[in-house]
Amino acid sequence: MRRVAGPLALFAALAVAVVVAPAFLSDFQAQEAAYVAVYAVALIGLNVLTGYTGQISLGHGAFMAVGGYTTAILMVDHGVRDVWTIPVAAVVAGAAGYLFGLPALRLSGLYLALATFAIAVATPSVIRKFEGFTGGESGKNLFGLPQLTAGTTPVHVLGRQLNYNNWLYYLCWTVAFVVYVVGWLMLRGRTGRALRAVRDSETAALSSGVSLARYKTLAFGVSAAYAGVAGSLYTIANASIYPDTFPVQLSIFLLVGVVVSGLGSLAGLVAGAVFIEFLPIWAQDISKSQGAPSVIYGAILIAVMFVLPTGVAGMARRVATFARGRYDRRAPGTD
Amino acid sequence: MGSPMLGTMGSPVSDFLQQVVSGLASGGIYASLALALVLIHRATGVINFAQGEMATFSTYLLWTLTANHGWPYWPAVGFTLAVSFVGGFGVYEMVIRPVEKGSVLRVVIVTIGLLLLFNGLTTWIWGGSQQSLHSPFPTRTIDVGGVAISVLDLGTIGVSIGVVIVLWLFFQFTKVGLAMRAAATNPAESRLVGVRVSSMLGLGWGLAAVLGAIAGALAAPSLASLDPNLMQATLIYAFAAAVLGGIDSPAGAVVGGLLLGVGLNLLGVYVGFIGADLRLPAALAVILVVLLVRPGGIFRRRVVSRV
Amino acid sequence: MRRRLVLCSVAAALAFSAGAAALAGTARTAADPGVTPTSILLGGTVPLSGVAAAYSSVAVGANAYFKYVNAKGGVNGRRIDYTYLDDQYNPANTVQLTRKLVEQDKVFAIFNTLGTEPNLAIRPYLNQLKVPQLFAASGDTSFGADAAQYPYTIGFQPSYQAEGWILGRYMRQSHPHAKIAVIAQDDSYGRDLLLGFKRGLVGGSAKVIAAQNYEVTASDVSSQIARLKASGADTLAIFATPQFAIQSYVYASKLGWKPFVLTNAVSSASNIMVLASEGGTNKTVNGSVSVVFLKDPTDPRWSKDPAIVLYRSIMAKYAKGANVKDVYNVYGMAVAYATVDLLKRLGKNPTRAGLVAATDSMNITDDPFLLPGIVIKTGPKDHFPINQVYFQQWVNGGWKQFGSLVTYKSQ
Repeated sequence: MRRVAGPLALFAALAVAVVVAPAFLSDFQAQEAAYVAVYAVALIGLNVLTGYTGQISLGHGAFMAVGGYTTAILMVDHGVRDVWTIPVAAVVAGAAGYLFGLPALRLSGLYLALATFAIAVATPSVIRKFEGFTGGESGKNLFGLPQLTAGTTPVHVLGRQLNYNNWLYYLCWTVAFVVYVVGWLMLRGRTGRALRAVRDSETAALSSGVSLARYKTLAFGVSAAYAGVAGSLYTIANASIYPDTFPVQLSIFLLVGVVVSGLGSLAGLVAGAVFIEFLPIWAQDISKSQGAPSVIYGAILIAVMFVLPTGVAGMARRVATFARGRYDRRAPGTD
Repeated sequence: MGSPMLGTMGSPVSDFLQQVVSGLASGGIYASLALALVLIHRATGVINFAQGEMATFSTYLLWTLTANHGWPYWPAVGFTLAVSFVGGFGVYEMVIRPVEKGSVLRVVIVTIGLLLLFNGLTTWIWGGSQQSLHSPFPTRTIDVGGVAISVLDLGTIGVSIGVVIVLWLFFQFTKVGLAMRAAATNPAESRLVGVRVSSMLGLGWGLAAVLGAIAGALAAPSLASLDPNLMQATLIYAFAAAVLGGIDSPAGAVVGGLLLGVGLNLLGVYVGFIGADLRLPAALAVILVVLLVRPGGIFRRRVVSRV
Repeated sequence: MRRRLVLCSVAAALAFSAGAAALAGTARTAADPGVTPTSILLGGTVPLSGVAAAYSSVAVGANAYFKYVNAKGGVNGRRIDYTYLDDQYNPANTVQLTRKLVEQDKVFAIFNTLGTEPNLAIRPYLNQLKVPQLFAASGDTSFGADAAQYPYTIGFQPSYQAEGWILGRYMRQSHPHAKIAVIAQDDSYGRDLLLGFKRGLVGGSAKVIAAQNYEVTASDVSSQIARLKASGADTLAIFATPQFAIQSYVYASKLGWKPFVLTNAVSSASNIMVLASEGGTNKTVNGSVSVVFLKDPTDPRWSKDPAIVLYRSIMAKYAKGANVKDVYNVYGMAVAYATVDLLKRLGKNPTRAGLVAATDSMNITDDPFLLPGIVIKTGPKDHFPINQVYFQQWVNGGWKQFGSLVTYKSQ
């Protein structure tokens, strides 16, 4: 019980903060916070893949695209209400991830990064090619559809009236908390230990009877399902989807976000999501000259890898252990 | 207004050969960048996602010397190659060496960071509009039986093959080359015999940067203009070429590049579904299939991992 | 253990409030959105970085022109503030940044946002909120054609379909037996041009006998040009962006193919043609025909023209370091001039509805950055501000206008 008390209290604190925050945020800021939740969902999933089984994916934007287009097609072509498309997006993207995870078993480290990088680069072209399905370049527009909750008129939830921005905020953060709890439940106990064993030493894991194939593909499927949910929420938040909505930079930023977060706690992942959402805006505030923001991103990425090799969560942990006065050898994610 | 020259309809054979020839030309560009990728991987075990952007940066340096500062072409080339060498070495020392002992993930993120950094730098310093770079070879075209072959394309392929030969001679017969090979395959034991491993690795990056600059100097005239996106698409094709040929084999990079160029052209022309718009995904498929079916590529080198 | 918990909670709270603090924007306190007694705020997004970065000069030129107007007293006593953000040509970024401009920065209108996908992505939102989407920088036909559904949205340049039609009609009349090969970018820009072109050919004997397209992420189009040459066509129509237009000329010449060439306005800037001519050695460019509606700053015809002289002085003063040869800066000034004209008409109390009414009834005959005679005109049945172009032909290393003003009437 003691092991659970700490993180539970933290979780509760965060939940309270999220519920209460809109009172202090403007409408638009609530919308920005909703995007932070969307990225957090993707990062929670990618954390399972990279933090737990150590597989590198530079292509999770593609799984977000799968989820996003599932939502868009269901809403526009089949009139499905936006919230009901989210679980469908999770299943479709998860299946895609699992299917990719099967051949990906044979790739390791750098080669997996390379293969997933190539997928991320090719995604917009593939979306364009299948335009009968995806709408091609004209994309799909959700704004104004009755299936888009609160799109035109405020929605009533639990006795409160929410306009579009606030509805988005609560939708995205609720989903984020739900998927986090689901993930936490899944990673406790045997599954989590097996996944971590895969990361720490594949050979050792094999020799202790962990089925590598099963857990590695499981990790891919799960992380892709999360990315699909994130893509679905992203599409709902943008109220539109186009081939260029999921460029290779998105995949890069997702991996960066998960590394910055320290491959660990929810707070770290939220910090990583904040990083993804606001870095482009901060970079533009610093300089609007052409090319300058890219220079800033690149410099910051490199600097973060130097200064915070274990990310934000790692830094928080190191501060905590320093305060406690001894070196803690526990693996990340076991808070 | 003069009268236009009527298009001459060639035979299906000469059309086919023309596609092959232009495929070889594109392939030569992929090969030259793939050589840089292979060199870095072979020397340091790193896949450098920033290779294309570093090459573009070097190409812009060459351009600005010749176009804006009036330097003659070949001295500018020499200067650019020298600066690229120092730059590559410097990038390794300052940015890669500190993180390469850590997880693979950190190294990947750092090279991605370099990709963004160099791409931004190029646009920031020189802007985004189209420029023109002087070609090292005459731009004449030779007509062989209805098939047009440009001297520049022949030169590009020739330079790539030449680089492979020079690299082979370097690695086989020079002390430095031998030291580099030792440092790459067995750093611990190389140190025991006095090889300065980290310098060798830095040397590898420096040489790769030189190869990248050469690739850019050939690509910009071949692709008819220079802009900051010069190598963005080519990088993926270069990865595909390197993977296809064997990621540790310079000869493989060239063979892979040429095969890829011709293959993509022929697939695009003769397989209607792929056409021109699935060219990039087709290259991606090559990467995936090769990595899954025969990970070492065509000229693979067996590596056994010890537990 | 408890200390650890406290530290973690503090870290989380810090992270969250840092995020919240970061969200705090600078809200403008104004009576009407974007309008204060001394200023009007316009906002938009352009791709300052990424593959489409070359077109971002439309914002630079417009911004410089507004600064010039402000220095002379502004419009009805108000200065025009124009803020533009980098969306990297990603419609998702366009949506978020546009919402920021509308909901946080409270702009009066969204102005000069560049790109087809980006503008499509924000169109329903802006129309629902009744925020003018002024002078979308895209030739996509839908921005004029869908006026009934999206009255707050309007484009500026001649639509791609109009341009294609004009070129097709020219071929029908001047090269009636031509066999035409087309290379087109695989997106709505290329497709609209081709669609209009084919419509313009209807009724004549000139025909499109081969068409090739290429994806935006292609590295080279040598294969496509080889196939087009193999079709036996005597004319090549280039519906491609500058990088690939240059390649089309170069590869055609390499293959020994010297067709008659039509090129589109986006790629017809003189500096692009000069690059394609490979220092004069590539003869394929000679005789190319294109259409044009802006004054090209590298065209010696306009070197003493008062508008271009003004352009240069404005750029030197308010856009130091920008590339003066870039015709997209001129586009920016042309559209800014039209905007100033509109804002003047709104008088002392500009409103968004008033702006939209004014854009629906434009009749600007003196935009100095457009070619002489070209009028910016809209009406109840015409939601396309510019429908006129001139033909030009590339001779002796420069464009030479020929023929009279061409006006497109939608079919």
